[in-house]
Amino acid sequence: MESASNHHSPAPILAAETPKPSASLPAGSPGIWHVLGAWFHRLTIEQRVLTGFSLVFVGILIISAISYHNTSILLTNSGLDGRSHDLIQLLNTIDAAMSEAEDAHRRYLVTGEASYLETYKKVVRQKPTFIAYLNDLVRESTEQQQRVALLDRVMDRQLNAESKAIAQFQEGGFRAAKKMALEGAGKRELGVIHQIITDMDLHERQAVAGRVIESAAGTRNTIVLLGIGALLQLVLLAWVYYLIRHDITERRRVAGELQRRGELLEAANKELEAFSYSVSHDLRAPLRHIDGYAALLRKSVEHSLNDKAARYLQTISDSAKQMGQLIDDLLVFSRMGRQEMLRTTVSLDQLIKNILSDLRLDLQGREISWTIAALPEVQGDPAMLRQVFMNLIANAVKFTSTRPSAAVEIGVEHPSSNEIVLFVRDNGVGFDMQYASKLFGVFQRLHRADEFEGTGIGLANVRRIVHRHGGRTWAEGVPDKGATFYVLLPTRRLDS
Amino acid sequence: MTAAKPILLAEDNPRDAELALAAMEAEHISDKVVLCHDGAEVLDYLYCRGQFKSRLKGNPAVVFLDLKMPKVNGLEVLRAIKTDVNLRPIPVVMLTSSREERDLTESYALGANAYVVKPVEFHKFLSAVKELGTFWGIINEPPPESCRPSS
Repeated sequence: MESASNHHSPAPILAAETPKPSASLPAGSPGIWHVLGAWFHRLTIEQRVLTGFSLVFVGILIISAISYHNTSILLTNSGLDGRSHDLIQLLNTIDAAMSEAEDAHRRYLVTGEASYLETYKKVVRQKPTFIAYLNDLVRESTEQQQRVALLDRVMDRQLNAESKAIAQFQEGGFRAAKKMALEGAGKRELGVIHQIITDMDLHERQAVAGRVIESAAGTRNTIVLLGIGALLQLVLLAWVYYLIRHDITERRRVAGELQRRGELLEAANKELEAFSYSVSHDLRAPLRHIDGYAALLRKSVEHSLNDKAARYLQTISDSAKQMGQLIDDLLVFSRMGRQEMLRTTVSLDQLIKNILSDLRLDLQGREISWTIAALPEVQGDPAMLRQVFMNLIANAVKFTSTRPSAAVEIGVEHPSSNEIVLFVRDNGVGFDMQYASKLFGVFQRLHRADEFEGTGIGLANVRRIVHRHGGRTWAEGVPDKGATFYVLLPTRRLDS
Repeated sequence: MTAAKPILLAEDNPRDAELALAAMEAEHISDKVVLCHDGAEVLDYLYCRGQFKSRLKGNPAVVFLDLKMPKVNGLEVLRAIKTDVNLRPIPVVMLTSSREERDLTESYALGANAYVVKPVEFHKFLSAVKELGTFWGIINEPPPESCRPSS
């Protein structure tokens, strides 16, 4: 009993441990944790370990996903940084090109030198490329796109104004364009352009700075997350390790306990065997002496022995013999419980035939009508089953001995596919059903010794053997009408 | 010839011994019986030593051996007899209360010539001992003398 309660002790430990996290959780959740704890409590050790490993696996998946997400943000940011860099460079180039165009057109207006005109025209030719490139670089920021559109218009205005001044100069010479040549046709726009470019530059630099902060935060988060994740995995793995280790320790303990019990049982069996041996050896000797000396006494006082004294001596002898029989029966009964069982196919037909042949001496002078059904084959120990039917049939013969025409029936019933019931029915003295429970007890007898002889061990043997075969026995009887003894045997092969 | 050979009865229980002797008395062979009270005495007799130092030389016609005896038990005596080349021819009959299978098995394995379970009923015991005494002490022709412990 003690070890049985020990055996169950690990479960409450685990159950007490699992709800622990609930302490750190907001009120309301303990219910869930309680349910989880109860659920966990029902799991087998294999399922618990599997749960632990599944949690570890899920944790690894989550950490991987978050790490992947953060890394892709870092990659995107670094791509954006490259673009911002290009943009800033392009803006500088545009700023310089527009200044150059303004400068070149004024010099042309003053000098009429064609090389200045060529420089100006080059800038005009480059302008759509600049804008297209700009649009491409700012495609993700509407604010910057608006600035680019504005820049585009202002640049057009500047270049148009300058083109107009150049056209006037070519039509009317320096005078016509003198004012514009001195002031610069697109001078005002140039300031605006410069302003827009400065804004864009600032905006882009701020975006870069923002991304640097974002990347740094992302990296820091990833590191923290990885740390916490690794810690959690470690805790989970430690827990799984604890579970497995605990289980192994428990199994080892149980195995040790089983072995210890096995040894105890073996020792007890040895002791019992020694006891039986001693009984068979030592208990018989005094009985032999009682009977022997009674016989010697009878012999030596034969001439002066009266009837009464002779009867006393006879009783002494009979009692000694009876006790000898009891000892023998008890030894057989004890051996039936310990003896190794064979498992073979036993033909009941053949078995009954052999028993009847062995009983033929007892059957001499008896009028018995036998009704024996075709009996099946069963799995079991042939010698033990023989003992069962020998006892039942001998009982039937014995308890019908007062009948002028005795009838014994041996039959079989099939109550279900995996068991059969064999019965031995007689029309003998029967018994009162209120004593039915005593029938199969050791040394239990329902008849006086002077009515029917016997030690009362036969049916106890029957029951013990049938139990060892995984079956059961019962009996039905009516006083003075007869009795039926039933033996139920499983037809499936037993693995004992 | 054979009538001169004694019957060796090893029996520690004086009552069993008395009953056995009473049984043999009826057949007039009780005077041939040498009674030993334990296994050690049996061996002393067979090897002509101890109290049997000065006995007449020669092996007994038969040895009736009880299994449970003090000092040296029946199986040990049996082993000693059957492993000694000079004693081996002596017929040994186990005469015991035990019907245990392992006693039977071991006795025959050691070379016992017969195994008799003492019946509880005296008349059966009587007839068993009578028959044994008659058969082994009178009817059976014992092996030719080969034991010469001290010529």
